[in-house]
Amino acid sequence: MNSGLLLLGVLAWVGVVGFSILMATWGEPVLAFFPIAAAVVAAWAIGEYITDVVWKEKNR
Amino acid sequence: MTMGMLFRRRELEDPGWYRFLFGSTALVPLWTLARLYVGWQWLQAGWHKVDGDGWINNNGSSLQGFWKNAVAIPEQGRPAITYGWYRDFIQFMLDHDWYTWFAWLIAFGELLVGLALIIGAFTAVAALFGATMNFSFLLAGSASTNPVLMVLAILMILGWKVAGYIGVDRWLLPALGTPWQVGRAFERFRGSGGSG
Repeated sequence: MNSGLLLLGVLAWVGVVGFSILMATWGEPVLAFFPIAAAVVAAWAIGEYITDVVWKEKNR
Repeated sequence: MTMGMLFRRRELEDPGWYRFLFGSTALVPLWTLARLYVGWQWLQAGWHKVDGDGWINNNGSSLQGFWKNAVAIPEQGRPAITYGWYRDFIQFMLDHDWYTWFAWLIAFGELLVGLALIIGAFTAVAALFGATMNFSFLLAGSASTNPVLMVLAILMILGWKVAGYIGVDRWLLPALGTPWQVGRAFERFRGSGGSG
């Protein structure tokens, strides 16, 4: 189960990488900044949730 | 005063504002904004080179053109490169057709620095590579956004503990540790190295 959570966290950040490259292909460099920032915060929030809530619960 | 007293080991503490600026998670939102801005600039620049013409294809002809302009000494006015040793260095690379592979290095280097900064993985290392490229471009006479990106990169290097906190470094740094502190990933090997 822990490895599954780790995979989820890694996938969130891999998703940010893919999304950022996708945004770079878009012709709106100023507008594209905001979805990228939102994706980074979302991936970080997923990681925080896994670390602070789920991970600790499983290892208690 | 003896030489021993003069060079005795002392721990000099940083002032409070310095610790707050470069080590407090209270300023993490500001660091994240700066990091994303610089990362996005590098990603765009790198992507345009990877996807565009004259860098990855056409044997780096765009870089060749840039280098030729940089080493040129005009009959009137100042040359783009101030330092003779740097002009000789660019001329050496130009004479040996290094632009054919150096264009790949720059294009993918910019792309990787951009991605690393955006996700906040090895932020300080990525910022160091970014600052190195800014420094090189500035020496070659290209100002553009390089001064701003370089200053932000240097600040991120100083704030390495918090610059990537809303990013992968939040987990990467505690896992890998620092040269003076063993990370969680290596704790199991601690003490098993024999005499160490």
